[in-house]
Amino acid sequence: MRKFLRLITVPLLLLGLVANAQTRTIKGQVVSATDGKAVAGATISVNGSKVSAITSEDGSFAVNVSGTVTLSVKSVGFSAKTVSVAGDQNTVKVSLTEESSQLNEIVVTGYTAQKRKEITGAVSVVSVKDMKSVPSGTAEQMLQGQASGVTIIGSGSPGEPSNVFVRGITSFGNSTPLVIVDGVQSAPGDLSSFRDLAASDIESIQVLKDGQAAIYGARGSAGVIIVTTRRGRGKASITYESFAGIQTPRTGNVWNKLDPQGMAELYFLAAKNSGAVDANGNVSSPQYGTGKTPVLPNYIRYGTASGYNGAVDLTKYNNNYSKGDIFLIVPANKKGTDWWDVMFDPAGMQSHTITATGGQDKSSYLFSLNYFDQKGTLLNTFLKRYSARINTTYNVKNNIRLGENLYIFYKQNPRIGNNQEGNAVNNTAWEQPIIPVFDAGGGFGGTSGAGLGNSSNPYANQMRQKDNQNHEWVIQGNVFAEVDFAKHFTAKTVFGGNLGNYHGFYHNYRSYENAENGSSNGYGQYGGYNNNYNWTNTLNYSNVFKENHSVKLMAGYEVLKVSGRQVGGSRVNYFSDNPDYLSLNTGSPIGQNNYSDYYKTTGNSILAKVDYAFKDKYLVGLNGRRDGSSVFGPENRYGNFWSASAGWVVSQEDFFKNVKFINTLKLRGSYGILGSISNVGALNQYTLYGGSGGSSYYDLFGTSNSTVMGFYATNLGNTKTGWEKDKILDIGFDATVLNNKLDITFDWYKKTVEGLLFQDQAPAVVGVGSQLPQVNIGDMQNTGIDLGLSYRGKVNNDLSYTVGVNIGAYKSEVVNIPGAAGFFETAYTHNTGPQVRNAEGHPVGSFFGYKIAGIFQSAADVAAWPTMPDAAPGRFKYEDVNKDGKINDADRTFFGNPNPDFTAGINLNVTYKRWDVSTVLYGSFGNEILNETRYFQDFYPQFQNAKSIPLLTESWLPTRTNTKYPIVENNSYFSTNGVINDFYVEDGTYMRIKQLSVGYTIDPVKLKKYGIDKARVYLQGANLFTLTNYSGLDPEIPGSSTSFGVDWGNYPPSRTFNIGVSLTF
Amino acid sequence: MKKYNFKHIMPAVLSSLVILYACDKSYLEVPAAGALSQDVLANKIGVEALLVGAYSLLDGEGSSAGTNNGPWATSSSNWVYGSVAGGDAHKGSDPGDQNLITPIERWNATPSNSYLDQLWQQRFDGVQRSNEALRVLKLAKDISAADVTRITAEARFLRGHYHFELAKNFGNIPYIDESITYAAGNYLVPNGPALAKIEADFAYAYANLPETMSSVGRANKWAAAAYLAKVYMFEKKFSEARALFTAIIANGKTSLGVKYDLVAKFGDVFDIPKKNSAEHVFSVQMTVNDGTGAANANSGDALNFPYGGQTGCCGFFQPSFSLANAFQVDANGLPFLDNSFFNKPIKSDMGISADKPYTPDSTTPMDPRVDWTVGRRGVPYLDWGIMPGSTWVRDQASAGPYEPLKHLFRKSQVGVYTDGSSWTNGFTANNYPLIRFADVLLLAAEAEVNGGGTLAQAMAYVNRVRTRASNPAGFVGPANNAGDVSPTNYKIGLYTSFPDATYAMTAIRMERKLELAMEGHRFYDLTRWGTAIAKAELDAYAAAEVKQGYNTMVGAVYTANKSEYLPIPQTQIDKSQKDGKSVLTQNPGY
Repeated sequence: MRKFLRLITVPLLLLGLVANAQTRTIKGQVVSATDGKAVAGATISVNGSKVSAITSEDGSFAVNVSGTVTLSVKSVGFSAKTVSVAGDQNTVKVSLTEESSQLNEIVVTGYTAQKRKEITGAVSVVSVKDMKSVPSGTAEQMLQGQASGVTIIGSGSPGEPSNVFVRGITSFGNSTPLVIVDGVQSAPGDLSSFRDLAASDIESIQVLKDGQAAIYGARGSAGVIIVTTRRGRGKASITYESFAGIQTPRTGNVWNKLDPQGMAELYFLAAKNSGAVDANGNVSSPQYGTGKTPVLPNYIRYGTASGYNGAVDLTKYNNNYSKGDIFLIVPANKKGTDWWDVMFDPAGMQSHTITATGGQDKSSYLFSLNYFDQKGTLLNTFLKRYSARINTTYNVKNNIRLGENLYIFYKQNPRIGNNQEGNAVNNTAWEQPIIPVFDAGGGFGGTSGAGLGNSSNPYANQMRQKDNQNHEWVIQGNVFAEVDFAKHFTAKTVFGGNLGNYHGFYHNYRSYENAENGSSNGYGQYGGYNNNYNWTNTLNYSNVFKENHSVKLMAGYEVLKVSGRQVGGSRVNYFSDNPDYLSLNTGSPIGQNNYSDYYKTTGNSILAKVDYAFKDKYLVGLNGRRDGSSVFGPENRYGNFWSASAGWVVSQEDFFKNVKFINTLKLRGSYGILGSISNVGALNQYTLYGGSGGSSYYDLFGTSNSTVMGFYATNLGNTKTGWEKDKILDIGFDATVLNNKLDITFDWYKKTVEGLLFQDQAPAVVGVGSQLPQVNIGDMQNTGIDLGLSYRGKVNNDLSYTVGVNIGAYKSEVVNIPGAAGFFETAYTHNTGPQVRNAEGHPVGSFFGYKIAGIFQSAADVAAWPTMPDAAPGRFKYEDVNKDGKINDADRTFFGNPNPDFTAGINLNVTYKRWDVSTVLYGSFGNEILNETRYFQDFYPQFQNAKSIPLLTESWLPTRTNTKYPIVENNSYFSTNGVINDFYVEDGTYMRIKQLSVGYTIDPVKLKKYGIDKARVYLQGANLFTLTNYSGLDPEIPGSSTSFGVDWGNYPPSRTFNIGVSLTF
Repeated sequence: MKKYNFKHIMPAVLSSLVILYACDKSYLEVPAAGALSQDVLANKIGVEALLVGAYSLLDGEGSSAGTNNGPWATSSSNWVYGSVAGGDAHKGSDPGDQNLITPIERWNATPSNSYLDQLWQQRFDGVQRSNEALRVLKLAKDISAADVTRITAEARFLRGHYHFELAKNFGNIPYIDESITYAAGNYLVPNGPALAKIEADFAYAYANLPETMSSVGRANKWAAAAYLAKVYMFEKKFSEARALFTAIIANGKTSLGVKYDLVAKFGDVFDIPKKNSAEHVFSVQMTVNDGTGAANANSGDALNFPYGGQTGCCGFFQPSFSLANAFQVDANGLPFLDNSFFNKPIKSDMGISADKPYTPDSTTPMDPRVDWTVGRRGVPYLDWGIMPGSTWVRDQASAGPYEPLKHLFRKSQVGVYTDGSSWTNGFTANNYPLIRFADVLLLAAEAEVNGGGTLAQAMAYVNRVRTRASNPAGFVGPANNAGDVSPTNYKIGLYTSFPDATYAMTAIRMERKLELAMEGHRFYDLTRWGTAIAKAELDAYAAAEVKQGYNTMVGAVYTANKSEYLPIPQTQIDKSQKDGKSVLTQNPGY
């Protein structure tokens, strides 16, 4: 103890001495040894004192010193350098040698930061510059392809949440990674605090992928995305960044739809094939007349008549329910309506950011304002976001720092139900081309006539929703204080959270034009908030003993809380549809509806971490965490998680000194036990009772309009449910080769989930209307590799380039599933039942059903095949998988895997003089897609909606037998589309140019007179090309963790062209 | 200064961490939000509310079943499994819409058809809600002995009902009493015949329920008696059934104490404001505009309304050709018991567009119940005016020309007995009568024939039903809508003799077909009468329908020793494995 006291007393005395000496100011500049360019943000510290400075944009700095001093100069990406400055020297120029590799980059690895070369775990360090080059409204989309082992599946819908999986899917529930922005944890399974970050505010992103994420314990198993936002430094400056451009949707017959004449012929073909012909061989159709061939009508609806060719009295037209019976007059669009073109139009996109930053040794600040506005190419979809950030730090004393990060945004983001049956994208496929957008009376055209299918006019739907609004205000951020004391200790406390508020309202209009119309108008309003906070206290100790033993210790304590409330109501039968008139109290009290709910979960944890390094050669890390959570019963409330890791920097060994082609090499391995609770609800441990008007009240008195309160067991609890154990073994290496030009990071991993939290799969006799609890059943395993390559090339002083490649590959296997069945099914459709079976021994999300062996060509063919329901010539024959001579449920089998063999991202940057070119490519290889849209498009019985061309031109006929398309018939059968079969499976491999831009940096000298320090202008294209064999709109198909790669109608990304500018003042 | 830092801050920080951690055990005790625990309900009010919760699943809804076919898969009226599969009706609508019904209609559903799983789930949920009332009842201390008995009897009545629904459809089912719970882990119960246990539930209810109840929707002694007698019929305990039916017909009364009787006009049985009449032995109570977005209406039948008219969506449940044809009568006003009606189609507008002229048949004599059962072009359709033909039919070429009627609402009832707060007008407050008095009379007639009674009494019961049908005041016509006149030549006569048991049974079977058509009973009746009768009728039905243009039934065959019951849902078999083998045995033939 006494020794320790002495240790800290000495520098204090020195400080006192220094303060008494005569001072002068040294001015200097820091430049890069490579190109002589100024190095901004470099730290200059005066050895033996606490004096330090940071270089500004032009590399200049000033420090007050006295006498002869030694300056230490450090900057990210450069080797540290010390220079001696004589007592009479007042200027100095320091040139720093660029670090040839990224090994000195500071990486946040959970509560602490490390140099990259000290890391023993598997961490993907994202190139934020490349990431930001992708013009998108969501940070998830920008991250795609930037981190090996991180799979991101999105869509073209502005602001749409993407699926994010780190090293594949590791849960049957929520498999979303934990997000930490400036030390603030997201609510479990919630990426929203990441999604809406303004891109320009992001300083760095790291993804923890292996067992070391155990420092986040019960929340780390699905990976951890750690985001740090920018802080001010250097000279005060203002930056304006902006881009604007246009997104262009696909054009042409994207669904390969038949025209009206083709649809009419198809109707006759189906009727003939189904035997729906009269004695004379005539087909009769409500639209196309009676006869041998169809005739397109003049009107598809005239009052109650369909297929009308008579005289028209426009005065009879009425589409207003309040004015009497509906009388529609809908002309046939014989040329055909291109519904895709009606719904999708080129759309603008713009982003503007102003950032003011500055920092001295006492304080630093960053203010930024961002406006992001992306119109969707689909009518009335958009993302509009206003955001502001204030990040500040104050060095109260030399050893005390206070600061805060505050981010506020407001957004509006109307979207469609993406990838869901019956959404606006679907309806562009379903709505028949003979239907006009508008009818003869100026109302909407639709499917209300006979034989026009059941879809709804997507234009009418989207126009009616244009007055719906949803507003979100979110505040996220933290305040922190840090104290350095006793030389080696730092205590830190951080309190932060996310506070989200939303409210909105919607209108339902009474439609008249569709086959299935709503029965009343309506208006509803809702609002609520979602809250989460964490308070983290850590104590760090860092010391080097006897020069060679570096020890870092961290211990901490954390509390978490997640809560929220919402309330809403609606009424129907409003007197007027005028949006200005509508509020809840102006609607009819008959049919009014209201609801509210709230939730709260809490957690607390203690955590500790040790990092030890011997001579920077042998590295060992240990961490552990004890988590408590309110979602578990008292018996299993606490769980322990830990990890151990080790690294060996081979290149530091003497025997390695002679190896020339490898500059650095580090072998590393880690093993950890982590958990996940994101699937466990707040009520999981309780057996509870409740009820609601709809689910358990009953009209005992026969009143017809009122009910008596009733209850039932809503939740069957399980107090024994406990923590899931996710074991991750990771072995990898980091190397720099080829004269420090190529960095390689490679990891092999095995991720085993034991006691997977999943809803119990008890048979229905227990009463499945009562929610069954999540229990620890099921095991899952992913094995895979992540590979990151980064190459820096320099042809000459004018031309240099970098190439980054990220590859992630994994094999998913469900090892064990709850209950006796060994599987559970998901992705139900009301047409064919479940499409996906998660089963032991198979990859998660596997497609399951009958395998088509061909098409029955004749009655003899049918007779020769195993017995099969509804077998007939022209229909599918299914494989008799179990060879028992009959085709039944036992013959269903696995026929597709939506997990890719690997995904790859490629970043390429070329700089030539003042020109720069960059591109981001992303690809997914070897995954399969279940193209459910073909169920509606490629089979006639699925309503008489619009159909695809091959149905008419390629479907089976006795005279046309060499085809994949079965006979066109009026009915669905077991042997056509009555059950799920592999007709819909397609290769989902694709490669996309996500971004390609060309930029030019204007000579700063010429800008001086305008007060501009730096200016860059660029032209950019996004989603320029997608190489794929997939027949649907786009091969990137989002979903849930147990059913993904099923295409229900996905909003495709649009080709985008932007012009951008970046100015620094 | 430095000394201070080290000596005081460090221990302070460390100890504060420890203190925080220690204090925070209670921090993790978060009470459940928005729900009740069992001890709050273990009293009279709570148990009564749990009983209401058990009643509430009678409407086929309110259970969060794990498949999403919609409430039509679990409709309390069994329109899919009882009526469509029984030949009363076609699935209707567009062939591709809800096409999981088609294999059920064609009697070759596969065990993975998710309609079946959803049905299984909803009905067993009802079983467990009934059991939950019984379980919590045992914990309550403040309930009088009489109330304990009554609540037990009501809960067992409901449990019997839900099991009976399962037994009718699936045959061999696990019988789940109140000892079977998730928590106890004893839920792997083998399946088998369950009628004896169902009988015991109804017998208890019959023995213990009061004659009159506090509200019309509750089961009373006589509802239990009627249900018990019906179970006897399924068990072929005809003499027990006969005795019980005799008592019911003599003394039975509704829960409000009104003596059972047929209402004067056939059409009034289905008129919403006239629900819970003397004829309604036990009904599922439906409500609208109760603030739930039509969640307590007859959602299971919400698809089954004429299409293109003003009655809502979606054109399902279209009466079959054979059903319409069966209403033809001979010169004496009696139906054709030789099944000749199958191949004697009445005139219809099949293939005739609504804008082409069509004159409905006004000469063929027909049972007047036809126009309360089958919506036909040219005939008044309640108060909606004259049925216009194909403009009210979604896809006549593939589903036939007829529209359903019995569960419909009248135009004058829109907004009062219909709920506009959801996606279609077809949410109504029309009750579904699980047992009505005409059903009781006709079952009683069967019990007379087979259970030691007299053919004369059997004939009297049948004629009582027919007499009501023959009341001219109840014929479709001006009463529906001023100025509407039915063109149909109505004729209905009474039986004058039942010469032998075979004739009697043929007549009774026909009477059930006509009286209870479209009410979800036919398929179960056919199974009850035996495979030979079921196969003969349904194969004849399929052939007749194909002949008249309904090509969905091409190749459909009723398979003996298979088609009698639906297959046990594959998912449930899979989830019920013990030692590598399922405790559930699949039904024969699947």
